[in-house]
Amino acid sequence: MNPPDTTSKEHTDMSTARDPSARAEPMIDASEASVSVERRRGHGIKLQGLNAYYGKQHAVKNVDITFPANEVTAIIGPSGSGKSTVVRCINRMHEEIPAARAEGSVTLDELDVYAPGVDLTAVRRMIGMVFQKPNPFPTMSIFDNVAAGLRLTGTRSDNLRERVHRSLRSVGLWGEVKNRLNEPGIGLSGGQQQRLCIARAVAVEPEVILMDEPCSALDPIATLRVEELIAELKSRYTIVIVTHNMQQAARVADSTVFMLDGEVVEHAPTNEIFTRPKDERTERYVTGKFG
Amino acid sequence: MSSVALPKVSARRRRTDKVMRGTLLAATLLALVPLVLVIYYLLKQGLGAINGNFFTQDPTGSFFGSVGGVRSAILGSLEIVLLATVISVPIGIGVALYLTEYGNDSRFASVIRYFVDVMTGVPSIVFGLFIYITLVLAHTGGNFTGWKGSIALALLMLPIVIRAAEVVLLLVPASLREAALALGAPRWRVITRVVLPTSASGLITGALLAVARAMGETAPLLFTTAGAAGLTFSLSQQMNAMPLQIYNDILSPRQVVVQQAWGLGLTLVAIVLILNVIARAISRRSRVG
Repeated sequence: MNPPDTTSKEHTDMSTARDPSARAEPMIDASEASVSVERRRGHGIKLQGLNAYYGKQHAVKNVDITFPANEVTAIIGPSGSGKSTVVRCINRMHEEIPAARAEGSVTLDELDVYAPGVDLTAVRRMIGMVFQKPNPFPTMSIFDNVAAGLRLTGTRSDNLRERVHRSLRSVGLWGEVKNRLNEPGIGLSGGQQQRLCIARAVAVEPEVILMDEPCSALDPIATLRVEELIAELKSRYTIVIVTHNMQQAARVADSTVFMLDGEVVEHAPTNEIFTRPKDERTERYVTGKFG
Repeated sequence: MSSVALPKVSARRRRTDKVMRGTLLAATLLALVPLVLVIYYLLKQGLGAINGNFFTQDPTGSFFGSVGGVRSAILGSLEIVLLATVISVPIGIGVALYLTEYGNDSRFASVIRYFVDVMTGVPSIVFGLFIYITLVLAHTGGNFTGWKGSIALALLMLPIVIRAAEVVLLLVPASLREAALALGAPRWRVITRVVLPTSASGLITGALLAVARAMGETAPLLFTTAGAAGLTFSLSQQMNAMPLQIYNDILSPRQVVVQQAWGLGLTLVAIVLILNVIARAISRRSRVG
């Protein structure tokens, strides 16, 4: 990993400084990862001047972040700092909440997600999401849950079975469920359900996977499995993970964003954020002095 | 060594407790009295009327000779209520879907909710009168017909279906809708593939309860379907229905005919009871709530 050097605390400078280097950065060495699936060049995401509101409440204030392709970026910060809102703005789920709105630009590669006339469903197909609580569809079997993304988007797929099986393999769930694909998805354990939800997101072959505290409802062992999975998935996808757990950010993320009161305080390579934070507030947060 | 000493409950408090418990129990028993009496008389008077001809013959309507049976009333009721269900359930679920999936807290949605509540409280005879004025007096497709009764019953069922369906649809977790939307599903597919299947059993329960309610309504049919003795399957003619025949029979001076009204009343209660049992059985298998 060779994250770009960031000397400026000012996040606007930082993101512009990061951007070209992030794009130029070569993909991780193939020998590094223990993945069976072929690697794939993902696409980065760039937020510029992003503001988000819930009614009158200004939840995200002028945020600029660049999420480099094929990297895991963690967003940490205390409750109410706007982490989840930022993530929900990326796939335009934020606006599903009544009275919520967002301004600014979110670009996936060259595509402006907020451009007028952009098909919302197409955006969400390219940017998958995993939620805090595992939410498999209760009326569907394990197989149907993974196939749901394809069926719900009306994607015609000649090799549906194969795609479902491949998705289940890529989240390491295949061995556990291959003999009961027709049983209901809610019959699985919490950790299995969450991996099922990741398989569901992966099955539509998105460019980016957003994870909103994906492990907060899981026990430590299930958490570990999901973290290993994240490390494997980054060879194919760009991953943004919101987490309350700083150890988790330290374990899985290439770079980490620290947010406070709707603003980005610091965005730096993960080891720098935790060992040599530039901002005093970051230091106080990561050392547990507040938040 | 220290021990915790609780103050003794005073005699006055214990007395008040006893009196209150007694009062509440008495109120419960008092409420049970008419319920038990209704069932007792239905069984006592009704069972006697049910004989070999009861379900196989139509009422003769004559003052002499055989009184016949109630076949046309049962079949007529089933047919009229079936049409009312076909009209009101899809529309009702559609309105409920609009309220929960699109309307949310908008002003328009709250106005609709208010009107639905008002509709629920409208006396059933008013729906009958409304259809009488708009369809019967206007001679739209005949005078008194079965389908006009169906429409009057559908109006009565509509608010019940909407309310029941809305409650059930709200029980579908928002996280499931979010999951589907985040996969890139258009909203109509979220509704047809996720929201409706998840709430299906609850929606069926709500519909069955509305059916049970409509089955026993007399007033909406009085001025719309008017009743007839003979059996007909044509909804564009006057038809017999269970509540209508009970109403007619009970006014008869012949003791056997009054007896028949009791028998039909028992049949009606049994049908409604069966519908309720089915509704409960389905809702117990519900995936939400």
